[in-house]
Amino acid sequence: MSVTRTLTVNGRKYTVAFDDGETLLDLLRNRLGLTGTKKGCNLGDCGACTVLIDNKPMNACLLLARDMEGRAITTIEGLAVDGALSPVQKAFVENGGIQCGFCTSGMVLTTTALLRENPSPTDDEIKTALSGNLCRCTGYTGILRSVRQAAGMTKESDAAHEDTPSFGDRFSTVGSSPTRVDAVDKVTGRAQYTADITLPGTIHGKILGSPIAHGIIKRIDTSKARALEGVLAVITGADVPDILYGVSPARYDEYVLAKDRVRYVGDQVAAVAAIDERTAEMACALIEVEYEELPAVFDPFSALAEGAPQLHDRYERNINTHISHHFGDVERGFGDSFLVREEKFTGNHVHQAPLEPCASIAKWDADGTLVLYTSTQVPHYVQYMMAHVLEMPLGKIRIMRPTVGGGFGGKAETTPLDLCASLLSRKTGRPVKMVFSREEMFRHGRGRHKQHMNFRLGVDRDGKIRAFDSEIYLDGGAYTSFGVATAYYAGSMIPTLYHIPNYRYEGYRVMTNKPACGAMRGHGVPQPRFAFECLLTMMADELGIDPVEIRRRNAMDPNTITVNDLDIGSCEFRATLDKVAEKTNWNEKYGRLPRGKGIGIGCGGFVSGAGYSIYRGQVQLSHEKGRAPFEKRSIFPHANAIVHISEDGTAAVLLIGAAEIGQGSDTVLTQMCAEALGIPPSRVRIRSEDSDISGLDLGAYSSRVTLMGGHAVARAGRDVVAKMMPYAAKLLECEASEVSVRDAKMYVTSDPSRSVPWEEVARQYFNDTGPLVGTGWYKPPDGLGGDYKGATVGTSPAFSFGSAVCEVTVDMETGQVTLDRFTDYHDCGTPINPRGVHGQVEGAVIMGASETILEETQFDNKGRILNPDFHSYQIMTIRDAPEIFSGLVDSYEPRGPFGAKEIGEGSTLPVLGAVAHAIANATGVWVTDLPITPERILAAMRQKKR
Amino acid sequence: MYLPDVEFHDATTVAEATELMARFAPDARYLAGGTDLLVDLKTGRDKVGHLIAIGRIDALRGVAADASGLRIGALVTAAELAASPVVRERFAPLLDAVRELAAPQIRNMATIGGNITSAVPSADMPPILIAMRASVALQSPTGERFIPLESYFLGPRVSIRAADEIVTALLVPQPPSGFGAAYARFAHRRANSCAVAGVAAGLQLNADGTIGDARVVLGAVAPTPLLAATVRAYLIGRSPDNESFGEAGRLAAAAAAPITDVRGTADFRREIVTVLTRRALAAASQRAKETTS
Repeated sequence: MSVTRTLTVNGRKYTVAFDDGETLLDLLRNRLGLTGTKKGCNLGDCGACTVLIDNKPMNACLLLARDMEGRAITTIEGLAVDGALSPVQKAFVENGGIQCGFCTSGMVLTTTALLRENPSPTDDEIKTALSGNLCRCTGYTGILRSVRQAAGMTKESDAAHEDTPSFGDRFSTVGSSPTRVDAVDKVTGRAQYTADITLPGTIHGKILGSPIAHGIIKRIDTSKARALEGVLAVITGADVPDILYGVSPARYDEYVLAKDRVRYVGDQVAAVAAIDERTAEMACALIEVEYEELPAVFDPFSALAEGAPQLHDRYERNINTHISHHFGDVERGFGDSFLVREEKFTGNHVHQAPLEPCASIAKWDADGTLVLYTSTQVPHYVQYMMAHVLEMPLGKIRIMRPTVGGGFGGKAETTPLDLCASLLSRKTGRPVKMVFSREEMFRHGRGRHKQHMNFRLGVDRDGKIRAFDSEIYLDGGAYTSFGVATAYYAGSMIPTLYHIPNYRYEGYRVMTNKPACGAMRGHGVPQPRFAFECLLTMMADELGIDPVEIRRRNAMDPNTITVNDLDIGSCEFRATLDKVAEKTNWNEKYGRLPRGKGIGIGCGGFVSGAGYSIYRGQVQLSHEKGRAPFEKRSIFPHANAIVHISEDGTAAVLLIGAAEIGQGSDTVLTQMCAEALGIPPSRVRIRSEDSDISGLDLGAYSSRVTLMGGHAVARAGRDVVAKMMPYAAKLLECEASEVSVRDAKMYVTSDPSRSVPWEEVARQYFNDTGPLVGTGWYKPPDGLGGDYKGATVGTSPAFSFGSAVCEVTVDMETGQVTLDRFTDYHDCGTPINPRGVHGQVEGAVIMGASETILEETQFDNKGRILNPDFHSYQIMTIRDAPEIFSGLVDSYEPRGPFGAKEIGEGSTLPVLGAVAHAIANATGVWVTDLPITPERILAAMRQKKR
Repeated sequence: MYLPDVEFHDATTVAEATELMARFAPDARYLAGGTDLLVDLKTGRDKVGHLIAIGRIDALRGVAADASGLRIGALVTAAELAASPVVRERFAPLLDAVRELAAPQIRNMATIGGNITSAVPSADMPPILIAMRASVALQSPTGERFIPLESYFLGPRVSIRAADEIVTALLVPQPPSGFGAAYARFAHRRANSCAVAGVAAGLQLNADGTIGDARVVLGAVAPTPLLAATVRAYLIGRSPDNESFGEAGRLAAAAAAPITDVRGTADFRREIVTVLTRRALAAASQRAKETTS
């Protein structure tokens, strides 16, 4: 039934008709176009939809619009007055309170209400007030700082929380922290995420998932769904191409919709397009599917057992991938060891849980071009996969990447939404929008693989590693996704941190009837790294060697080829160890804390971009379905940039396909482009959202953007400058080789007083030559990696390193862990934007700590997820977050742009081990299964007492 | 993830509400804050044809107190209760629970009446209210009755409320001198997290310092909030010290009938109940002593 009410939103009255049961959230977004209010969970658990009702924060997803007459409703759009940001908005912009921006509206509104009621809150009051607003990016550190600032507290010295090496005047903008280029749009609600976009004539799609974990589809009857008023199209497996897709080219094993078989609860069976999402959802419920249920397996060991149900004919014994790597001679290494210890560890199945769910909008242009708006980290791979499945040339596919609300690996592959929206749009001739609910996000999966690890480590009397032997079973779920790479990464990164002369890795990725697992921050490595760090510390304690010291003794050195042929360049790992030990007074604390108090160390690092693209050969044409043979070099550039200078010379437009997903890549790329051009970043505008106007970029995964995108934009900038040089020389009456550029001036190097404005030179160029455009591209160096199978995984132009110390208090009666403090030092090369780097570290600390002690996807014995929501799948709130100190060591990577390496994923890796060690140090017992829950801590303590 | 088709009815008086409920039950629910109900309807956990909106019934609003005690209108939100000066002054133990209930946004919407009538085993308000001897006021077209809150619950999401009744208020008697209460809860996260277990304790101390009465109420470890009789029997006459509280914790754990779910196993819940009982009793005892000093 429709009702009409007059609502007062941001001081304006709207008389609006809507469905009786409509939430305020849907009304604001769909009827009033106020899309700054976000739908993150739709069940009152995340706070992204927070609005103020008579100045009290409430979840718009749990308010019925019909009840809102006479209430003063404030949304994020109502805070700025005449374009001037409110003090709270300003504080968030200036203090690193914003990353992906999806939680920002809610955070800002909750803060606004708090400060109206309590202008000078304590930290505790701030944390309590914000405890219903989840953030997955910032680690809450920048948010807390923003609220303190908004409350007018005296500016704290950054030195209390951060340590950044000084660069002197080596650079102009690189190494400084200008405001994020997207901050104002995000803090005002103007930033458009995919689900916020409504094209004229848009209709809405939904996918029907399988209710059973394994079965044959006997019959599908869509007649009732088709008959429902408002339904425009229904498609099933019969309507989708007979083409398998996936991520790893050797293992494409998914259809857009199941052809005849479902392999997990949620496996896509049919899709509907209708006039609105609710109708599409109702139509899905009307589709009748008859299944013949098959026996299912839910853990890798049952799946491997003799006679176990097989998920795919092609994966014998359900083994998706088996890796067998042996470098040196481990048995000899163990023979040479003074101490050998073997331990079993188990990881957990966790999810990236970006606050913004996946979303897509597809439309077809009159000339047959597919335009796909998608919330993705990898626009190019989506384009590539759409071309593959739809059998179209890449050139006919345009990918738009609107603002993305976090990814963490969860948006690193083509989704069923991308594919179904495209097919439904082609069928109906209308733009089709599809958005996952939070439950669908969990059901679709692609989270972190749960790994079962059996590790054996041998060290000599001094704690020097002699041999390491590992066997890992990865619980893959029903499809391959990234899994082959995940399984390789699980082994390949271990020898990058410490010298390991003899190394063996046996890895098995096993198919089970659960959602497929994919790539998540630190791809494949965090769990083995956690296990390795725990084992190394156990052995240090056993030998009476300080855990920091044993790491120093084994630490990787710069310019080393590892035992598995990875080429380490810059490496200041030891410096990070020294710094965290010094900063935390490690020597005074370790072994001297009272029971229940603990301190622990963990280390880790990561690649700065994968050395090779996911698919081989050249950028593929639609008819070239075959796989090109592997060559040990990049066939095509991985990052490409174009810089176009405005005709008056006052603006540079940077066109690049690098995916800003909240991590801040638009800002650091702008800075590097500005640095190369010799102008301030305020004169550079970045456009990174549209594949039509930028060159190929492989996307935001494997921590590649700063290094690879950075090289491309720096080269494009230098290309522009090179073109300007003759004109500058002419104006300055000198030789081109004598000209320098900096701070928007071109000047004679030996006499800077002889200068000419940058824009003047650019104008001269345009007048004589036409458009002033520079291009730049980047390919990883040739020849990366060894000559064995799988040698490409783990290769990179550069590697990051880091150490973290965690301090905890454990309630010895309940097992509850309080994270007191985190101290992290990293070698990320040159930090292009230190605030951005620290923000990545802070976010990684909280995400990593959260997965160490809180998170686990739980299943029932039918393969159904028991906690597919933010109510039961708990990620840390601001009240759980510890104080964080983030430091950077002086480092320069010759293979990185301006000396830069990565930070986003490497910063996750030390965290798990540090938390685990701190808990062990506090309790006297090791918990070797993740997550380290209070229940497991109590059980381990009980075990020890016996 | 949308509300199914339901028919809304707006009640403006208690009589109207109960009449509507009598007409449509069991295919109807009262809709107040909606923080549980709308979630259940969106996820399909609950299905119902009629929603009777009671948000505009003024008689259900307001926190009021006189010498005999406190009256909490069923529509009082958790945030309103937490901010009430009289609650802070005279019924402060309620704050232990109401301040930890869900998240701030939810506390601005969720009503105390809803926290009771949902009859969810892990709800935070029932244990502390029972420990403080609260009763629930139920009104029907034929009259009003007052039930001790511990007798209200029959099972998960099931209560003694008749089809034509509505909860109008919670009544908490003024605690006498020598009485103290406290609520201790355990959750995996520090905010916005359902209790794995919650224990409320209400202690009446005699003039000689011994325990005159003890109401220990266990939440989230049985189908309903559980007033532990064995604990009471054990504690009466004893001295309020660690030893007796420790034993009380063991008895409470034995009385609990927990289940295993996503938040923890039954064994873990028992273990936690032991600790929470001791801690709640210690805090209650401390507060009881403060009222007499």
